[in-house]
Amino acid sequence: MNVYDLIFYLFAAITILSAFFVVTTRNIVYSAYYLLFTFFGIAGIYVLLGADFIAMVQLIVYVGGILILLLFGVMLTNKITNVDIKSGTIHTVPATLGVALFAGILLASMWNTNWKNVNSDIQAASTQNLGFLLIHQYALVFELLGILLLIALIGAASMARK
Amino acid sequence: MKEYFNNAWSALYTIFVGMKITFKHLFVPSVTIQYPDVKLQLPERERNRLYVNMDDCIGCDQCARACPVDCITIETVKSIPGEDLGKTSNGKKKALWVTKFDIDFAKCCYCQLCVFPCPTECIYMTDVYEFSEFERNNLIYDFVTLTSQEREDKKNNYAKFEAEKAAAKSAPATKPIENQETTKP
Amino acid sequence: MIYDFFFRITDSNIIASIIQSLLPLFIFILPFALFAVWLERKVSAHMQDRLGPMRVGYHGALQTIADILKLVQKEDIIPNEADKPLFNIAPVLVFIGSYAVFAAIPFSGAFIGSNIDLGIIFIIAASGFVVAGILMAGWASNNKYSLLGAMRSAAQIISYEIPTVLVVLTIIMITGTTNLQTLSEMQTGHFWNWMILGGPKFGIAKFIFIPFMIINFIIIYISTLAEVNRTPFDIPEAESELVSGYHTEYSGMKFAMFFLAEYANMFAVSAIVTALFFGGYQSPVGYLGNLFGMHWLVPIEQFFWFTAKGIFFVFVQMWLRWTLPRLRVDQLMAVCWKYLIPIAFVNLIIIGLITVL
Repeated sequence: MNVYDLIFYLFAAITILSAFFVVTTRNIVYSAYYLLFTFFGIAGIYVLLGADFIAMVQLIVYVGGILILLLFGVMLTNKITNVDIKSGTIHTVPATLGVALFAGILLASMWNTNWKNVNSDIQAASTQNLGFLLIHQYALVFELLGILLLIALIGAASMARK
Repeated sequence: MKEYFNNAWSALYTIFVGMKITFKHLFVPSVTIQYPDVKLQLPERERNRLYVNMDDCIGCDQCARACPVDCITIETVKSIPGEDLGKTSNGKKKALWVTKFDIDFAKCCYCQLCVFPCPTECIYMTDVYEFSEFERNNLIYDFVTLTSQEREDKKNNYAKFEAEKAAAKSAPATKPIENQETTKP
Repeated sequence: MIYDFFFRITDSNIIASIIQSLLPLFIFILPFALFAVWLERKVSAHMQDRLGPMRVGYHGALQTIADILKLVQKEDIIPNEADKPLFNIAPVLVFIGSYAVFAAIPFSGAFIGSNIDLGIIFIIAASGFVVAGILMAGWASNNKYSLLGAMRSAAQIISYEIPTVLVVLTIIMITGTTNLQTLSEMQTGHFWNWMILGGPKFGIAKFIFIPFMIINFIIIYISTLAEVNRTPFDIPEAESELVSGYHTEYSGMKFAMFFLAEYANMFAVSAIVTALFFGGYQSPVGYLGNLFGMHWLVPIEQFFWFTAKGIFFVFVQMWLRWTLPRLRVDQLMAVCWKYLIPIAFVNLIIIGLITVL
């Protein structure tokens, strides 16, 4: 067990613990901030996997964008000067069923997929290859995703103007 | 469209105009005076802390009466004949021992009304304006030059003199007075 | 290079990297913050025909040290109704965000915290923590003004991140790298190789680039100014409206941390502008070290040039602060969404076309 393993376990612990707290804490703002640590931990794991571009994008999109919007939503929709923003548990049985189903799918796909093993010591810069792949091999998917996002953007703008 | 670019250009242009002005001010000599180190020349008729030149004071109490806030308290004791109190600088003969001349600068309003009536011009405004204190009592200034022992002496002397005079006066008619006194209660 | 040096001394890559990661804080950010606070006060004073601090040290040079000593001694006040855990974490998070940025900034050819390929993108990502920290501080203070300040700040930062990223994208398109060290190395030689003057490649494209590069520079300078909440974009702090925004309730060392983060951010954005447009750590005219054959001098000179350029842009930020009044919130958003973003987009497309052709 070398240092990188230790760092991995640290990030993994951060991710899992904070994800656990996101779900269990009763204060929505606390949940949002635990989510920050979850994203951070996942970004760290991405870096350890050699996927540094994904890690950065994870931080930019989730921490810099989505989390901030989430906090905005929480703070604007609730009574803003009140510290106690509580959330309760409802529909326990259907929720458990849903989670069990989802966990089953995840576990099944995890065990049945033939994972590619890559020597983790070699951490080549992935950004350039990623760019080439996106523009050459997956150009169509890339463009379609772009159009999808554009449609979402236009839809949001037109809804906001009403 | 034209307005759009005009707006953008004028915003940018005016920023540079403003920056030019502030940059020029960077080299304008500052107007700040480093106060405790450098002090402004005060005007000639400035009104600050009072000073009393006790050598000239004849104890006439005019300044205390002129004071609108009663910040001056003067007590005087008459001199005994034969005592020489000296003369003031403009030639007046002093006749009173000044045993108390207190000015309370916490009360003083710097109106200068006490200065004008003074016949010997012994009370006047100085240019001292930094005399803040932590205790209000410290702002009561005592200008009398006599020591407290001397003040007591003067008072006692005068009381003794008075008593002697009264004794001398009433010596021939001692009896009736005593009789009166005894009958009084 | 510095990492190798520490590695040879300590013989352990962990200790070497810890030392290296602490270096920017102690040899750069703290002295810079001390200097910048003094400079800010002096610049503001002289622009208003005043003198500024004069009593502590020569022309008040030690004033900030005295202020820091005062802040250290101050009582650490936590409001009763504040959310204590978040209130305590917030300044740390803000500082982490602005300190992490320094990891990817190339101070000189021999010293860069971490020479990662995604330098500039890492900087943009790390600054996301600052927004989260500011929102946290505003919310945890349980104070209307703090929360308003934090909301304004977050809205402003995420809006102005877009033009910044667009401009960064044009630079990435031209140079084909996101590594700030490589980017700086590309702009070596003389000042006509800087990106603001069309980049290192000589040709007709270089001269076509120049006007667009100047527009790019203006856009990124304005938007980074807004990202660090400096006047004219200081509506999150707006003393006359919001007391002092998200750090109203903070005192003592926590306040000092916000302050340090703010000044570190000021230098960080100046450093980004420098690295992208003004040749990074490269000297505009060549090196004395090369002239006299003393090659060990070159990294030191590079460090000098980098800090000089950075401090120049920090000075310009201060200069703007004492020139321009504060924008209204709607004007702020109008500047970003109606002017900077469309212009940056057009620039991106034009520069893309020029690069392809």
